Amino acid sequence: MKNQPAPSKFMRWFDPRFRQMGTWAFILNRVTGLGLALYLLLHLFMLSKLVQGETAYNDFIALAKTPVIKVGEMFVIAAGIIHGLNGIRIGLTSFGIGTRYQKQMFIGLMVVSLILIAGFAYVMFLGE
Amino acid sequence: MSQSKWNITLVVYRQKTGGHGFFQPFPMEVDPDEYVLDAIERVWAFHDRSLTFRHACHHSTCGACGMVVNGVEKLTCITTIRSVTHDGGILKVQPLRNFPVVSDLVVDMSNFYTRLEQAHFGQVAALKNADLAYEKPKYREQEANNERLVDCLECGMCISACPAALTSTSYVGPAILAAIQQTYVQTGDPDLLDCADSQDGAWRCHSAFECTAVCPSNVDPGWRIMDLRKRIVGNRVAKLFEKNKEKVAK
Amino acid sequence: MNNISKPKAGEGTTLWLVKIILGGLVIAFLVLHFIVNHLIAPGGLLNYQAVLDYYSNPIIPIIEGLFLIVVIAHCLLGVRSVILDLNPSKRLLKILDIVFVLGGSIAVGYGIWLLVILTART
Repeated sequence: MKNQPAPSKFMRWFDPRFRQMGTWAFILNRVTGLGLALYLLLHLFMLSKLVQGETAYNDFIALAKTPVIKVGEMFVIAAGIIHGLNGIRIGLTSFGIGTRYQKQMFIGLMVVSLILIAGFAYVMFLGE
Repeated sequence: MSQSKWNITLVVYRQKTGGHGFFQPFPMEVDPDEYVLDAIERVWAFHDRSLTFRHACHHSTCGACGMVVNGVEKLTCITTIRSVTHDGGILKVQPLRNFPVVSDLVVDMSNFYTRLEQAHFGQVAALKNADLAYEKPKYREQEANNERLVDCLECGMCISACPAALTSTSYVGPAILAAIQQTYVQTGDPDLLDCADSQDGAWRCHSAFECTAVCPSNVDPGWRIMDLRKRIVGNRVAKLFEKNKEKVAK
Repeated sequence: MNNISKPKAGEGTTLWLVKIILGGLVIAFLVLHFIVNHLIAPGGLLNYQAVLDYYSNPIIPIIEGLFLIVVIAHCLLGVRSVILDLNPSKRLLKILDIVFVLGGSIAVGYGIWLLVILTART
């Protein structure tokens, strides 16, 4: 009989259609979490450039200043902010703090996220 | 009931034992203020007697008629056609998700009921325990020990909507966890907390709160799961202090 | 009594609490990391010499080392939690746990080795 829970259905985790705001929080947390896990791996690899010496590190920094990498880093910063703030919501509601207002908390924290992300974007792209 | 009629297409999920699932359309004229269940019953009565679906009370107290209507879990006996579609629109009805399909819109709830029993879920509770703790009491103090039926209809819609229940058969689901919380509030049985304290219990929840969003009653399963977490942690800490006290006493 | 969900070596209270506490620490360390690395550190650590000068302060490798441990642990617990949602068998989970512990230990060891090398060069 079909229609049963199955690991193969995991792609439906990321389908927000017909669902409420809490699902958006769940999707964002999962996507940003997995994305940040991948970034952590890349970041540790990047840090090996420091050990390889001055030229290797400085060459890498030159690459990091290119627009494509800057956009990528912007996504990482956005992911970190969203995951961190939504994590605060999860931590608080899990101890009964603000559970009834979790929707409003999510909206508020995402507004804060947008402001912070905009701030970082300004510094990264329009700053010195 | 309104005067004007709507022409809609009721699209119903069909699946018989051993067969593949498919969607069957039934164009029909309906009164938009009728309920989705009325339209399904009309299909059964006048078009296809092989259509199987669950229904009983027709007034949202039994929980039998929970289905997925245009992508969202609904109690079809109290969901007006007007609220889910429009004149000329599609009304897509599917069985609840995350339960095995027995036939058409009927799903196998046996595992769910077994787990409710294992949670010692009581359908009756004192007024002081039946209401949600954060709500203002709707009874007088002297009535606090009067009993009523608890809010959970055992409809299973919360499990259908839950993203964690989508991929895991062993996750007990929001209804069971809410039942554990309800029973714990009534009985204080610490074994119940141990029940919920596992990867397939309270810690599997990822705070999507879809259970609360689709609950047709006043259970607020999301809140109850978080309350359960708080109690589990509190119980663990209390046990830790008890152990230390015993050590000191020795 | 506990026959609804049998006790498993999955994610009970302890692991979940550890994940949440580590998450809080990640936020704290990240804020510190950003402020110090990109606002206070001269040149924003955008060249090799700036990095060496930065790591000459003994407190920096300690903070960065702690940050490394906290972030790797939280990351692996999070990924493990996602895998638990897929209801892996006991055997598969045991294998994955070994992979996570080994992987995490290697990542932490590698990070600390980097810190030691950098500090030695200052």
